[in-house]
Amino acid sequence: MSQQMLRLARPTKIEFIRLRRRLATARRLHRVLRDRLLILTQELVALYREVVEHRLRIHEEIVKCERELIRVSSYVAPWTFEEFSNIRVKSFSVVVGSRIVAGVKLPLLEHEVIEGRYDPTAYPITLKEVSECYEDLVKRIIRLAETEISLLEVGREVQKVKRKVNALENLIIPRLRATIKYLRMKFEEREREDKIRRKRIKQILSRKARI
Amino acid sequence: MSEDRTLEYLLERELRVVNSYVAAKRKTLTELLKEDYPHVLTLSGDIHMFRKSELMLAKEVVGEDAEKLMLPIYVELIPAQTITTGVVREELATKLISALLGIDHATPLYVYPVQLAELRRKIGTLIQYVVSPEVLKEVRDYEEI
Repeated sequence: MSQQMLRLARPTKIEFIRLRRRLATARRLHRVLRDRLLILTQELVALYREVVEHRLRIHEEIVKCERELIRVSSYVAPWTFEEFSNIRVKSFSVVVGSRIVAGVKLPLLEHEVIEGRYDPTAYPITLKEVSECYEDLVKRIIRLAETEISLLEVGREVQKVKRKVNALENLIIPRLRATIKYLRMKFEEREREDKIRRKRIKQILSRKARI
Repeated sequence: MSEDRTLEYLLERELRVVNSYVAAKRKTLTELLKEDYPHVLTLSGDIHMFRKSELMLAKEVVGEDAEKLMLPIYVELIPAQTITTGVVREELATKLISALLGIDHATPLYVYPVQLAELRRKIGTLIQYVVSPEVLKEVRDYEEI
């Protein structure tokens, strides 16, 4: 398949030059695409590792926070709990931005926490620890969301670029090469034929001259 | 569309993509730290945002040089290498990167795959990979065919 040749209307020198130019363009494109694929693949692997790590950490943190919560709720009254959770954080917002990696637009989520004003001595210190634990958990979940979407986007782009690189590598470039090779051999053959024909004519002419 | 035109079209589009994510105007670290939402505009008109925590980390490392450090940092990929190798050519950027990676400071600084992964984890939004200008040059080797 890869060694197939292009269909040529006429095996001419102009066609030969055109094919060589086309091959140069194809190779240039191949190099550009291959480099882009390299960056994207690396990003994909890194994102995949990050997703796995975040997921594992989230599971661990959920267990840890729940355990802390149960422990604290055994000696803190529910209304104190509610009161503290209302005043602990004034606002929690997520800024949605974007970052560009090798031409792919990926989401970037940044969290902003504004702490509320309260008297720390009025509440048990463990209550603050629990709330911090949950805050970290939420932050990690936001990061996981960002990473997972990025992973999907990069994966999609890798698929597209890989298809193009494969087409160039296994189809277009080998075909062009084979056709150029065929044309070159054809021209060489034609040249040899011409040479022999000229020799033959020379022989005939010299024989005639002798007679 | 003939194959010729298809190839030209694809090449043109890819070259556009390659250059599109380069910042239209880079900003210094100090400028970015003053912004509420630190970002730069890319040539394609998109917004590339920086993570504040990463900017703070860079500030800690470079200290007073923050006014001179231009962001994003370009990590140029070398096509001739068999493994992905990046090269950073700016003096201050190499200072920051070598400090973060714990390697000797040198300009230009060559960054290998393992280090690239670590760099991406530490200052992922501050760096941008650029395809080496060598790749964008005309391929001359078709003459040999």
